[in-house]
Amino acid sequence: MAKILLVEDNEMNRDMLSRRLERKGFEVVMAPDGQQGVALATSEAPDLILMDMSLPVVDGWEATRRVKADDATRGIPVIALTAHAMVGDREKALNAGCDDYDTKPVDFPRLLGKIELLLQRGKE
Amino acid sequence: MRLFWQAVAAAFVVIGVAGGAVMLSVGGVPLLLQAAVPASVATILSAFAIGLLARQVNAALARNTEKMRLHFEHELARKTAELRSTLENMHQGVAMYDADYKLLTWNQKFREFLDMPDEFFGRDRSFIDYLRYVGKRGEFGDQNIESVIAQRVEQLKRVHSFERTRPDGTVLDVYRAPTPDGGFIAIYTDITERKQAEQELMRAMEAAEAANRVKSGFLANMSHELRTPLNAIIGYSQMLQEEAQDAGQSNFMPDLEKIENAGKHLLGLINDILDLSKIEAGRMTVFIEETNVASVITEVRGIIEPLAAKNGNRLAIECPADFGTIETDVTKLKQSLLNLLSNASKFTKNGTVTLAVARDGDRVVFRVTDTGIGMNEEQMGRLFQAFAQADSSTTRKFGGTGLGLVITRHFARMLGGDVSVTSQPGQGSTFSLVLPVRAADATQQPDSATRPQSGTAPRRAVSGDAASEHTVLVIDDDEAVHDTVGGMLGREGYRVLHARNGREALDIARKERPDAITLDVMMPQMDGWSVLTALKNDAALADIPVIMLTMLNERAIAVQLGAAGYITKPIDWSQLSAMLRRLGRPGGGARVLIVDDDPEMRAVTRRMLERTGFVVGEATNGEEGLTWLETNAAPAVILLDLMMPIMDGFEFLERIRANAAWRELPVIVVTAKALDASDVETLQRLTQRVIEKGASTAVDLRGAIREILKSRGAAAKAATA
Repeated sequence: MAKILLVEDNEMNRDMLSRRLERKGFEVVMAPDGQQGVALATSEAPDLILMDMSLPVVDGWEATRRVKADDATRGIPVIALTAHAMVGDREKALNAGCDDYDTKPVDFPRLLGKIELLLQRGKE
Repeated sequence: MRLFWQAVAAAFVVIGVAGGAVMLSVGGVPLLLQAAVPASVATILSAFAIGLLARQVNAALARNTEKMRLHFEHELARKTAELRSTLENMHQGVAMYDADYKLLTWNQKFREFLDMPDEFFGRDRSFIDYLRYVGKRGEFGDQNIESVIAQRVEQLKRVHSFERTRPDGTVLDVYRAPTPDGGFIAIYTDITERKQAEQELMRAMEAAEAANRVKSGFLANMSHELRTPLNAIIGYSQMLQEEAQDAGQSNFMPDLEKIENAGKHLLGLINDILDLSKIEAGRMTVFIEETNVASVITEVRGIIEPLAAKNGNRLAIECPADFGTIETDVTKLKQSLLNLLSNASKFTKNGTVTLAVARDGDRVVFRVTDTGIGMNEEQMGRLFQAFAQADSSTTRKFGGTGLGLVITRHFARMLGGDVSVTSQPGQGSTFSLVLPVRAADATQQPDSATRPQSGTAPRRAVSGDAASEHTVLVIDDDEAVHDTVGGMLGREGYRVLHARNGREALDIARKERPDAITLDVMMPQMDGWSVLTALKNDAALADIPVIMLTMLNERAIAVQLGAAGYITKPIDWSQLSAMLRRLGRPGGGARVLIVDDDPEMRAVTRRMLERTGFVVGEATNGEEGLTWLETNAAPAVILLDLMMPIMDGFEFLERIRANAAWRELPVIVVTAKALDASDVETLQRLTQRVIEKGASTAVDLRGAIREILKSRGAAAKAATA
């Protein structure tokens, strides 16, 4: 069973997305800000990270950079989630080291597709 | 002898007869008889005739001269009066000076503008006395009065103009031009009002710019605040549907679906309104990339198919799978197609909606055709106006904000294309979205209708003084800043390069190596701090000074990341200009050592050098100069006086040339000493250049230093090549 780290500051979004992921059979660990997200990435060694970009303490861009700068966590695929398809967000996310990118509100089937693709790629 | 005199007299008479018909008729003497009268009489007569002739000529001449004199006096008076009335009715102050720079003529306005005691307005008053008076009144600031005078007198040989602010705040434009006789004419124009208007305009533009940023910030926040609760509504309704399905309670499903759809509808409206606000604020940016058309169509089809099916419509796609790629903004293309297709699906029942894609030269045409209700001419005319649907009852019947087409047209134009429509009532409609295959160049032209604040000028890559040696790169996403900062720098004589985002900025910086960079902190894609870091991490660019422009006080970060300067918006022009002068000028921080015992000379030179970007060290004699060299890194140039106490310039030169570390240091001798042959020989051997102290010292010095720096730069380049 794949483990997903969900880094999201909005409680409702966290609750919603985690429950939907759990129902699809994923194990979900959660962090409310970028700093705790980076810490959990190390201690929990998840298979994938869903990273909100506008986060308190340390934002998603920076948290991703830190995850990708650490040899221990570099291999974990990160999907960036941003509130709205702002022009350039996708490039910014990919530049920060994210492996994929999606917009909120989350289109769950589409997000699921991206998650599975990245997990698959990780196994190969 | 007598015969001779007779002949002479006769000759006179004959001359008199031949030349003086008037005289004869007036004199009444029968000169024809003269040959018969005795010689002495003839002689007397001749003398008399000559005296008479002279008197007559004189009288006639005097009468004529008097007439002419009167005529000329009259003419002169008339011309003088004309000139005077011209001068006095001018809005400008005018004065003429002779070759000795003494006042010849002037008008009343000149007196008013100069605001000087009466004694300066007599004929023969000297321009130099006037300058000295103005200097003593303190108008030259802390500059040396005599050197300013020397400089001003030097200027009189050329046409020149400058602005002068009087003690009462009035601003005068002063224009001086040499006259053919070696004097000059001075014209003073009061430009206070123009200056004030310019400043007000500048302030207004800055205020507008600030307001625009506040608005953008508000919109960004607003969009986040509105979307967050909506996301929860949509997400939970979807989740409940999944759970209801899992639990086999499908009777809840239709209601949950309605909640979800209403939520999505509201989200769509909010997005439209925010998009339109952004477009209207000129803050909608485009991101051009290689886009696979077939995969965009597939994605769009997936979203539209269920929507079309709702009204019993069939969706037909005509797009070859191997259509290939185009360069465009994929997000905007998708949103535009979705807008057109969802409209078609909305206004068509049990019909067909067709999306056909075709290449037409260097353009791509996306054609959306429906078999729906169609429109008449008037309805079509209103289509692309914000907040106006074809029929106001349409909103009630079909929903929507009516903004979709407005946004689509804006997007299309931003991408270098357009949207058009053909339709007939009852016959369906065809919307054609035409985009260039390569949008890169076209996107550089913003949709003029959407940029009311920034004007409609095309986005420039280069502006200002093209011939200038000094180039500044302005990096900002806001066109208004390019206009204002670019304009200001252009007026200051810089060549200005414009970059709208970080990536473009780095490219330009690498290619053009500007002398300085101004960098906006708040930019989409790559913010100012990232750009600054990238610049400082690139060895080739790291030493270009960067001035950060920001709304907030973030000095600590700026310094930490290596910015050379830091200015908060709204921009203080004089501050920016001073900072650039310090950083971006040719001196570029090169160090100059002045060795001179005259404190005034040192101060004047220091000021001149610092203004052009040099860092200056001072020593008051040769010995101090040596100490300075021992304790400081080698300067780029030494400016050396010869006559100094303790250790003079000659000894200083011998000493530094004897030291291997200083042997190659360029030295410019600046001296008032009369040089003899052996001096000249010594100096030629030991120095690069000798400049005499005098009126044009500053000009010569700048040129000489620049030459030395240039030749050393070239030598260094040659050495590394």
